[in-house]
Parts: sequence; C-alpha cells; structure tokens
Amino acid sequence: MKKICNSIVLIVLAVSIMILGGCTKGQDSFSNATGSKIVVTDMKGREISLMEPATKVVAITAADCEILYALGAGDTLVGRGEYCNYPEAVSEVIAVESGAETNIEQIIALEPQIVFMNTMAQDVETVEALENAGIQVVVSVASDIEGVYGAIALIGAVVGKDAEATKLVEQMKDQFSEISASVNSEEEKTVYFEVSPLEYGLWTAGSNTYMDELSQMLGLKNIFADVEGWGEISQEQVLERNPDYIITIAAYMGEGMKPEEEIAQRSGWDKVAAVESERILNVNADIISRPGPRLAEAAQMIFDFIYKE
Amino acid sequence: MLRVKNLSVTVDLYEILKNVNFSVQENEWLMIVGPNGAGKSTVINAISQGISYKGNIEFCGENIASLKRNEIGKRIGVLMQNHSVGYAFTVEEVVRQGRYSYIPGIFSNYHEDNESKIEEALKMTGMSELRNHSVLTLSGGELQRTFLAQLLAQDPKVMILDEPTNHLDLVYQKQIFQLITAWVKKSGQAAISVVQDLSLAKAYGTHAVLMNHGEVIAFGTCDEVLTQDNLERVYKMDVNKWMHDMLSQWN
Amino acid sequence: MIKYRSQNLKPVEYLLLILSLLVVFFLCVCIGSVTIPIHNIVSIIVNLMLNKPIPEGVAGMIILQVRIPRVLCVAFVGAALSICGAAMQGVLRNPLADGTTIGVSSGASLGAVLAIAFGFSIPGIENGGVVLMAMVFAFISLLFIIALAYKLDCTLSTNTIILIGIIFSMFVSSIISFIITFAGEKVKHIMFWTMGSLADSTYEKALTLFLLLMVFGTIILINAEELNAFAISEDNARNTGVDVKRVKLLMLISVAALIGVCVSIGGTIGFVGLVIPHMMRMITGPNHRKSLPVTLFMGAIFLMLADLLARVILKPLELPIGVVTSFVGSIVFVYIFYHARKR
Repeated sequence: MKKICNSIVLIVLAVSIMILGGCTKGQDSFSNATGSKIVVTDMKGREISLMEPATKVVAITAADCEILYALGAGDTLVGRGEYCNYPEAVSEVIAVESGAETNIEQIIALEPQIVFMNTMAQDVETVEALENAGIQVVVSVASDIEGVYGAIALIGAVVGKDAEATKLVEQMKDQFSEISASVNSEEEKTVYFEVSPLEYGLWTAGSNTYMDELSQMLGLKNIFADVEGWGEISQEQVLERNPDYIITIAAYMGEGMKPEEEIAQRSGWDKVAAVESERILNVNADIISRPGPRLAEAAQMIFDFIYKE
Repeated sequence: MLRVKNLSVTVDLYEILKNVNFSVQENEWLMIVGPNGAGKSTVINAISQGISYKGNIEFCGENIASLKRNEIGKRIGVLMQNHSVGYAFTVEEVVRQGRYSYIPGIFSNYHEDNESKIEEALKMTGMSELRNHSVLTLSGGELQRTFLAQLLAQDPKVMILDEPTNHLDLVYQKQIFQLITAWVKKSGQAAISVVQDLSLAKAYGTHAVLMNHGEVIAFGTCDEVLTQDNLERVYKMDVNKWMHDMLSQWN
Repeated sequence: MIKYRSQNLKPVEYLLLILSLLVVFFLCVCIGSVTIPIHNIVSIIVNLMLNKPIPEGVAGMIILQVRIPRVLCVAFVGAALSICGAAMQGVLRNPLADGTTIGVSSGASLGAVLAIAFGFSIPGIENGGVVLMAMVFAFISLLFIIALAYKLDCTLSTNTIILIGIIFSMFVSSIISFIITFAGEKVKHIMFWTMGSLADSTYEKALTLFLLLMVFGTIILINAEELNAFAISEDNARNTGVDVKRVKLLMLISVAALIGVCVSIGGTIGFVGLVIPHMMRMITGPNHRKSLPVTLFMGAIFLMLADLLARVILKPLELPIGVVTSFVGSIVFVYIFYHARKR
C-alpha cells in the first residue's frame, strides 16, 4: 500500500517537475556562485537562500543521507530519518521519527538550519511549522536517474560541496555510459523484477521505476513494462512471459532458503528460462530502489551478473 | 421424586440461597411462592444446572448432577420466565427441540413417537395453526405457549414452570392450569411452579414452599404453608385482607 | 400415521450443490490472468487423469502448478471460513459473529507473528510452527473474548461481544506493531506476512486445508441439531437436554483450528464468514441441518468467484482478495436482503 502511494506520488511529481522544466537540467542553475550567498531552488520550485553553506542539517530520506555522505558532508547531519541505514556511520546520528508521522518537534529540537525531505512526509502545516522555527525545508524528490543527479546537485549546493556534487554526478554518468556502451544490444533479453516474493503476494517493478530504468540502460526488456510503478501480479503472468533473468530484492534474513533458491523451487517455475539457466540475482533492495548514488553500484551489479560468467 | 437438599448458591460473595430444602412427590404440584428477590428463579436455575451450587439435587435418589444432560432432560423439563429466540425458527422447530433428549444428534430423527408427541403438544397448546410461523412474529402469549408445547413434547417426569401465566390471557391461563392438573395426575409425574398469584397457588397447588431472602420459610401442603401468619411475615402486609378486597370487586 | 417431513436437504439439493461447486471450480481453472484456450485445459486435465504425459508448454505449468492448487486452496478456505462463521453465529446466537468481528482472526495472526518473530517451528512440517501457534492463539482468543463478554454482560448480547471483538482486534494490532518494532530483521517478514495472500498456494497447503476441513467441518456439521438448540437460546438448549459445555467446547476448538489454519495460509480474509451464513439463512431458514451444508458449498463457490475476479479484473495485476470479497459481498448481501424483505 505504501509502495503504491510512494510510486503514485513520485510519478505525479516527476510529471510536474518535467513540466516545471529547468529544475533537473544542469546543476549550475542551483547555486549562485557570486559571493558567498547561496540561493537554490528545490525540487518543488521553492527558493531557499543561505548566507553560507549549511553546517547543521537533517535528512529524512535514506537516499538523501547517502548523498550527503557520498559528498563527504556526513558531518553536517544532526538528525536523520529512522530508515536511514547506509553508510554505517549514519546510525550514530540521532534518529528522527519519519515515515507517515514526521516528528516536527524532534526536528526542531535538533536546531538544524536545513531539513531535506521528500513530499511524502509533507503538508503545508509541517513546512510552516518548520519555517516558523527558523528552519528551511528543502524538498528533494527524484523519480528517475536524471532526478537523482538533480538531487545530488541540490544537496551539494546547500552544504557547499558543489565541486564534490559535480564530481559525483560525473562519476555516476560515466559509470552508466560505460555500462550502456558495453551492452550487447543485438538480442533483447527479458528481465523480471520481483520486489515481493510469492508468499506475501507477488509484486513487480514496472515502468517508471529505477529498476525499469536500469533495465533499459542494460538493454533488457522488463517483462512487466505494461505495469505502472510497483504492482501485484499473478505468477501465471511470469510463467507465460518467461523472463531470461530474474532480479529479486527480497531480503534474506539469514535463515531458511535464499531468495534465489526459493524462487527456483516454486512449483511450476522450473521451466522458466531464468530458472533453468540459474540466472536469478538477489540485490539488496536499498541499493536498487533508492534515488541515491548507489544506483550506479546496482547497475554495475546487474551488468556483472548478466555479462560476466 | 425430586428432592432439593441443602441447596446454597453464592454469587460474588452474596448468598442468594441459603440451605434450601424441599421435595416434590409423584402426582404433587408444588408451588414456590415468595416476594421478588426471594430466590425462586435461582432455585429453578440451580435445578436446571444453569448455575453452580452447593448441596444436592436428587431425582428418585440419584444425584442429577452426575447424570448425562439428555438423561436430565428426560426427567426434568423447565419452562422459563423469559423467552427469546435468536433466529426465525418456526413454532414447530422450537417444539421439536423438546424431543432432543430422546434423539440427541442428527443421525436418527424419525420416530413415530416423536412426531405424535409433537403433534399432541401443538394441539394441547392451541398452536397447531401457527406451526409454520416464525417465532419472531408471535405475540408474548403465543411464544409462551410455544415453549409450553416444547415442554410437553419433552415429556419429562417433573415439569418446572417459572411463572407460566406470564403473557397469557384468562382463557389460556385456565386452560394451561387445567392441562397441568391433568398431567400431574398421571403416574410418575409431578410439577413445580413459581407463581406470583397466590390464588392460583392455593387453587391448583397441592404443596407449597414459601421463600424469603433465599431461605425456606415454610414447606408443606398448601394449607400448611399459605397461612395468614406466614404470608404476613413474608409479605409484610395483610394478604388475606388484600385478597378479599380484590375479590369483592366482583360482587 | 403422521407424515414426517425430513429436516435435511433433499438428495437432489445436495446434488445441485455439488454440481455447482464443480462447475464453478472448472470455470475458475479455465479463466485466469493468462488466457489459455479451454480445449488446452481440458486436454491437460484429461491427460493427467489418464496418466498420460502432459503436453509441453507453459500452459501445463500454469494450470497444474499454479491455478489448480490456488483454486483448491481458495475453495477450502472459503468453505472453512463460512462454516466457522455459521457455527459462531449459532453458538453465540449472534448474527454478526464471524472470525474477524469476534477477533479470532486477529488472535490467530498474533500467534503466527509470534511464531515468526521467535522462530518457532516444527521440524519436518513446513510452516508447522506458524500454523500451530495460529490455531492455539485462535483458541485462546476465543476463550478470552467469550469469558470477558460473559463477565461484562451475561446475556452475551450482540453489542457486547462485537464490541469486545473489535477492541480485541485493535489490541492485538497494537501488540503486533510493538513486536514489529523490536523484531529487528524479521520486521519485513512479519509486515508482509500480515497482508497475507493465497498467491502461493500449493498442493501441500490444499491437502492440509482439506484434511482439517474434513475433520472439523464434519464435527460442526454433525452438531447441527445442537447448534439449532443454541440458536434458540443457550438456556433452552440446556433445559432440553443439550450438553451445553461439551458442544461449546467442540465448536470453539473446531472454529479455532479452522480459522487458525486459514489465517496462517491465506491471511485475514474478512466478510466471507459473516455474510455467507447470513445469506444462506435467508434462503434456507435458520435450521442448521439445511443451512450448514449450503453454507459450506456456497462459501467455497463465493470465494472461488471472488478470487477469479481478483485475478482477472485488472490483469496482469492482481487485486488482494479481501478487496473483492468486501466489495462484491456487500452488493450481493444488499440484493439478497432486499429480496428477502420483500417476501
């Protein structure tokens, strides 16, 4: 349910961002390089200005936390959303209730200058309450890889790490183009993304998801491209569409069968191409579904899985 | 036949019945009388095993608590004070339930005896025409008669009736009391009734138990028990005078 | 001689029920998320029965390994939940009683969640620990709820027991949330589990359901007379010779076992146990000798059709079955209610 909400909101936002235009194109439009004053426009079109780079921030989404650390600005974090778990250092930072009920008081108590949020936890009152307390809210929400670049640039500008942000985005772009260049685009293989295993109801990642974007980059066809976002599908469909590769983000708890094994032993699945040739990959859900710097890592993982024996 | 020995009932530290003793023999009709709150219905509840109690209740010497439920059902039948039915059963279905003790379970239900008893019961209480009506559509009196029919179908040795004239008009009151009088005369049968109407008690009962505050004040034949003294003690009013005043309305 | 009209369903009516069940079963196997021509399906089944090799291809896999086990499980769960609802409505004399309203399903969920959180399992039986805990907790919940209801209101009026059931469900939800907070890595496991699904039905699960349904369903069916007695009134039942304590215990155990296994296999599916017995009573009358078998079959049919709808209405997406049962069930219920009133 949450995931449907998430994807619907992200999709709506993606459309509105594209309509707004300039926000995601080019990182230089974010920061005003003249003088030491920083003016940025966040991903909801709101303008935020700072006298100098922020030194105390709270990041609610896990992706934003990862971006901050990747930019070397991890020390600016005074508070983080409860679901932030990477890198390990972030667990030292005070956790703030996030998710459906973002705790404004906790955030205010930490006295940050900036709060990075996505639109899920937001409503007008939240933003007002924070702004009244002298805290500026920066909305960072990305629904595709372009959006991630935008988020990195935005966050970089706010904490005064523009150079690092540019470098990180370049790195990611390079990694992605290297991967797409090495892709064998002659035969189109198919892939099935499983985000929730059979026992809890089979869910897949359809079009307009990071996974889908990655698959396109890798020259794979998502068998559920006709599904919007994340959706619950029938295993009959998987059997009929017969994917060449299966990528699952189910979490392995350390006991029982590994997700790859579980999929392979499902009755009726033994003749699926991916199962017969043992082309099932388990990827950590955090790496592949967060709009953060590790998406490049995910792409690499999938690339290695498909093209290297 | 039915003997209640040292019956005591305590609920939530409150003693509802204290050492109640009485019995009813074949062909007797025992009337249980007493003011509200005397514990009359509790006695009935105890006999029908609906409440836990101390003491013994014996049927022909056997402690009924040790009997199987349907065995108790064959010996003792109860017509309760209040009737409510959860679902829209028909009159006939409710009456049929009275035969349960004889055919417990669903495996064999057809027996001539059963059918004739049910028919008879319906006829005796005048419910034959209404047999296919839902009990939820009946009047208070018709519902009372339905359950009476059930009791008749159950054909126990001892009939226990808690205020059987509730909701019944005079015609039916008379009919029912005559019915039970005849019934009690049959061999091996007896009846116990809780009544509020002392005239009915005197008119139809052979024996009586006068109760107050959970204790037996007097037990014996109707004449022995329903004396002016006893009644005045218990009801704290001149019962005889009251009755005469009522009757004088008809002169 | 007095003419005796049998209380049971006529053989012809039983035949009709069985036929309807088979027809609906076949329908649900033929139609699904993936379109497979009927003659394919028929040839697959025929080959299977004649022990001949099944034609190669995805169709065989889908029909035999996915669809048939699923429709079987759905049918058994539908039958089990319905007959449990009917039994509870009889024993508690409460037309609003069913697994979810009384809180039994929540109790079963709690048992299952505890089993997952503490890694309780029975060696050899897949998910055995979860199923067992679900059944045990279903039973304890029933006892607790009924005892509490008695304390508060010894007439066990409709309002009391439903109120307690609802409060109990909320209480259990909060405990489950509490456990989730402390379950660490097992969190996702549990959270997903609470949503429940019949998507992973297998022949083994169908067999488990079938065996338990045979045992406990039969126990409920043969107590039809006793349930009638309870449905009139518990006091009246006792006075006419019914062993009230024994019947209650039997019913509670049967209901707990069936709901426990249904919840652990398919999650909480509401509405079926509440509405099907109600609708069937409107058609057959309250005599359990008629209403129980009809409830059993119609429960299976209803859930199979609901599942069919869930599988095809948005293909390739699948709706959660609870959504369909509530939606469709409400409409069908109003329709039947309206017609019954008119008579």
